[in-house]
Amino acid sequence: MASVCRVGSTVGRSLAKHRSPVLLSLRRGQRSVSYAQSLAGAPETRLTALDNGLRVASEETGHATCTVGLWIGAGSRYESEKNNGAGFFLEHMAFKGTKKHSQTALEQQVESMGAHLSAYTSREHTAYYMKTLAQDLPKAVELLSEVVQSSSLSEAEVEQQRAVVLRELDEEEGNLQEVCMDLLHATAFQGTPLSHSVLGPSANARTLTRQDLVEYLSSHYKAPRMVLSAAGGVNHEELVGLAKAHFSGLSFEYEGDAVPVLSPCRFTGSEIRMRDDAMPLAHVAIAVEGASVTSPDVVPLMVANAIIGSYHISNGGGKNQSSRLAAMAAEENFCQSFQAFHSSYSDTGLMGIYFVTDKHHIEDMMHWSQNAWMNMCTTVTESDVARGKKALKATLVGQLNGTTPICDDIGRHVLNYGSRVSLAEWDARINAVTPKVVRDICSKYIYDKCPAVAAIGPVEQLPDYNRTRSSMYWLRVVTMCSVPVWLSLVLLLPWCAQGQRGGPDQDQDRDRDRDRSGLLSAWFPPEVRPLLRQGRAPSRLPKRGQQGSRFALSLDVPTSILSVLIDLAKNQDLRTKAAANAELMARIG
Amino acid sequence: MATHMSRCRSWSRVQRYGIAAYREYSGGGGGGGRYPNLSLSSPLPGIPTPLFASVEDAHGKCETRITTLDNGLRVASQNKFGQFCTVGILVNSGSRHETKYPSGIAHFLEKLAFSSTAQYGSRDEILLTLEKHGGICDCQTSRDTTMYAISAEARGLDTVVSLLSDAVLHPRLLDEEIEMTRMAVRFELEDLNMRPDPEPLLTEMIHAAAYRGNTVGLPRFCPIDNVDQIDKAVLHSYLRSYYGPERMVLAGVGIEHEQLVECAQKYLLNARPVWGDATPATVDLSLAQYTGGIVKMEKDMSDVSLGPTPIPELAHIMIGLESCSFLEDDFIPFAVLNMMMGGGGSFSAGGPGKGMFTRLYLNVLNRHHWMYNATAYHHSYEDSGLLCIHASADPRQVRETVEIITREFIQMAGTPGEMELARAKTQLKSMLMMNLESRPVIFEDVGRQVLSTGKRKLPHELCALISNVTASDIKRVTAKMLRSKPAVAALGDLTELPSFEHIQTALSSKDGRLPRMYRLFR
Repeated sequence: MASVCRVGSTVGRSLAKHRSPVLLSLRRGQRSVSYAQSLAGAPETRLTALDNGLRVASEETGHATCTVGLWIGAGSRYESEKNNGAGFFLEHMAFKGTKKHSQTALEQQVESMGAHLSAYTSREHTAYYMKTLAQDLPKAVELLSEVVQSSSLSEAEVEQQRAVVLRELDEEEGNLQEVCMDLLHATAFQGTPLSHSVLGPSANARTLTRQDLVEYLSSHYKAPRMVLSAAGGVNHEELVGLAKAHFSGLSFEYEGDAVPVLSPCRFTGSEIRMRDDAMPLAHVAIAVEGASVTSPDVVPLMVANAIIGSYHISNGGGKNQSSRLAAMAAEENFCQSFQAFHSSYSDTGLMGIYFVTDKHHIEDMMHWSQNAWMNMCTTVTESDVARGKKALKATLVGQLNGTTPICDDIGRHVLNYGSRVSLAEWDARINAVTPKVVRDICSKYIYDKCPAVAAIGPVEQLPDYNRTRSSMYWLRVVTMCSVPVWLSLVLLLPWCAQGQRGGPDQDQDRDRDRDRSGLLSAWFPPEVRPLLRQGRAPSRLPKRGQQGSRFALSLDVPTSILSVLIDLAKNQDLRTKAAANAELMARIG
Repeated sequence: MATHMSRCRSWSRVQRYGIAAYREYSGGGGGGGRYPNLSLSSPLPGIPTPLFASVEDAHGKCETRITTLDNGLRVASQNKFGQFCTVGILVNSGSRHETKYPSGIAHFLEKLAFSSTAQYGSRDEILLTLEKHGGICDCQTSRDTTMYAISAEARGLDTVVSLLSDAVLHPRLLDEEIEMTRMAVRFELEDLNMRPDPEPLLTEMIHAAAYRGNTVGLPRFCPIDNVDQIDKAVLHSYLRSYYGPERMVLAGVGIEHEQLVECAQKYLLNARPVWGDATPATVDLSLAQYTGGIVKMEKDMSDVSLGPTPIPELAHIMIGLESCSFLEDDFIPFAVLNMMMGGGGSFSAGGPGKGMFTRLYLNVLNRHHWMYNATAYHHSYEDSGLLCIHASADPRQVRETVEIITREFIQMAGTPGEMELARAKTQLKSMLMMNLESRPVIFEDVGRQVLSTGKRKLPHELCALISNVTASDIKRVTAKMLRSKPAVAALGDLTELPSFEHIQTALSSKDGRLPRMYRLFR
């Protein structure tokens, strides 16, 4: 699920300090076994640091297999315009032979162990990992240490891999989701290193030299920025021993003390569109600046994403899907697929919605995606949040199904947070999320913020940026009594149309209906009136309250609508006055 | 924590009864109130000390325990740490049992699973109930087994078992649900023919060729003509014969055995199915008869791509020979042989570990760059089995493709290299163990083994058996296999396809070459 944050890494500086593993086993409170305790029905994650700063973390699950790997705090974000793509190139070179083993020998060794050797590079992380039978752990660590520390990097091999990398770049061009997300980063973080793609431009792939790769390797593959992570049938002491044997030689000093310091990345609300009418489908991503990996706001944002959900045309369920956007997409055929995503990096993030649709439904999808966001900021209901929390918890637990995901989780957590955040802690943080928290945090990140938009394909219909921007808030009339009544109004599409289109929603649970204050019918729910009257108790009246309610507009509204709103508010005022008079009369009478 | 919870609860009450008037919007308040504003890199205070599972206590518990209830239903479970469990009912019923019924019943039952039941008014209600325990449900049918499974939090076990019992024994099978199923089945059949990946279709065809008209050769997918024939009465009559408790296993992974047995006794022991008493006398007990033969499907595959990137036109050939049932001892050598053949797609990504040194890579894909795919498969059932090789290439090269497969089959009979054999054995062991990392796979393994043999061979026992396989075992099983008549499935433009007799001749020759064809006019 995309809503589960794809985390980047922490900065080099913060990598040096880490939480003592002892903290993990400290007793914190209650004696009896609570739910949160039983949550940790998983084994403990143990963490040890070597003298050179390399950290070793493992979880012993008793499987007959294990995954062991090296997670490194380096990625395309550490590259410059000139060497962008070096990390990815280096990853390609990794399995092409080491100083000890030729490529064939390396492949044969891995295959004969029945193991899998893989690697990935992201914007802030690089990982090399191996999945193997538990008894082969020593061999696996040895091979990994060779791959990372003594890759042969021969000139001839670099030239040969250049062609492969270029072909892969070509293939990547066909993966429109990746292209769209790269464009989104390029526009959202323009002028900063986060705008670089992981693969780098083809011009760089043609010109990068062996020297560039060696430089990249020697300036980033440093012990304090590495985590040797393992999960499965691994013994922590054994792993620490192996790490000492194979990784003690890794340097922790930078040449001339030139520690690469990450420049802060600035988010720019902006738009990029690549129109190509020959393409069958449009790929669009819209995002606002999200939370950084360590920010506590990540959790409510992930809950919000879980509520918005995802959809693919091949999903069953149709209009019965629990996500409202998905139900609508299925019923009205608005899109092929959509996904709410949140990618976080060490100091910033991107929270957005990515969708694929035909050229006639781009506007609809934009509208309903932003509408979903506005709902998050204003009217998200108790039942929505409860569902989102359940879904998020299930995803968090569910994705740890096997040694490789656990190992990946450990590696990224240690790089990001300095230790592994336990499931119990996630659970407590998710439990603390309430509808109010979701509304507040979403408002903080989404409401009235400039979004970044990236679109490729037949995107003529994509609304102009100013229109997109103006859907990032809902215009509302604010009627202020002692009890504030906030009313909201969607301006850009007439709300009567929304009332019709929102048809499937209306039969949903009552909570939800009541919270739909966008609908005219819900503007003045009968329950408000007694409360208003109660609010008029003299002791709690504000000074000007005696004259009735005061209304203010949060933003400039076209005059025609303004007059309608004023009339409505006047009527309301009259009605309450009449009610108050009637009550007074009744009392006197 | 406790105060936290209670406060949330009282807040939710306000939310429910106090309505919109109290709501504060953005701008008001700002920060998240009670929400802990603490960086994720520092530990959240107030979290109870976790009780960590350790491998020592896990070892004693992690064995499969089996109990048979009074009505014959078997309960099998295996504990595993983690808060989620997978529980399900496996029924010895699948398309192979449809001899006396219209084909496609199992397919219908798969699609109808977890629809409305006696307790639950609709599928939505079931999903809603499961959602409370973070659960998901799924039903899968194969040729010989139907599997209803639920993954959910272990605390919800009681609800899960009650739901399973209800879904299996008390489905309402409403008319509109059956109508929906008909549509779903039709859609799936259509989709099957459009999909660029021909694998399911080829598997179906080679089974039909290998076991002509009997047991596992019966269609797994409902034939289009039967879609309208199948109704509630037919389904009930089928269920009456095959859904008896003695043909079922309740399997669970990640739960205590006693708990599962208790739930089984509560919900499955005295449950009377909605279709009345079982009539086990009508169960079809026939054994699979391997016949061999050919099934061809001429089809225009020039434009199968669903996306913007075009897929080249391919012809697909699958050739299989009879192997053995999974109950025989020869099953393990066959599995090793399958691993040794390996193979895959010629453009598949992935680093070392995808089987780069298997025979179909070394002898076929690395030598003939025009081949798009060469993969070995092994299907095994309780009374027979099928080892086959699938290859795809340009339709103009069908003849060469066939010859390459037949030559590989003949070469299997030679003595395998020591390295090669050792590698295949290790890879088989590691594949087995890696698959068993995930809970649903353990569940399926436990369930299937108990259903077919009444007990479970533990992974390390299987590993020991794999270690014992020798080169002569491989030679022996291959020689036996090569004596059987081939089964051939061919899909696509087949103008260049050699005749079945020629394929048969090639497979009984020494070098696997097709008989030469003399053609006057090219």
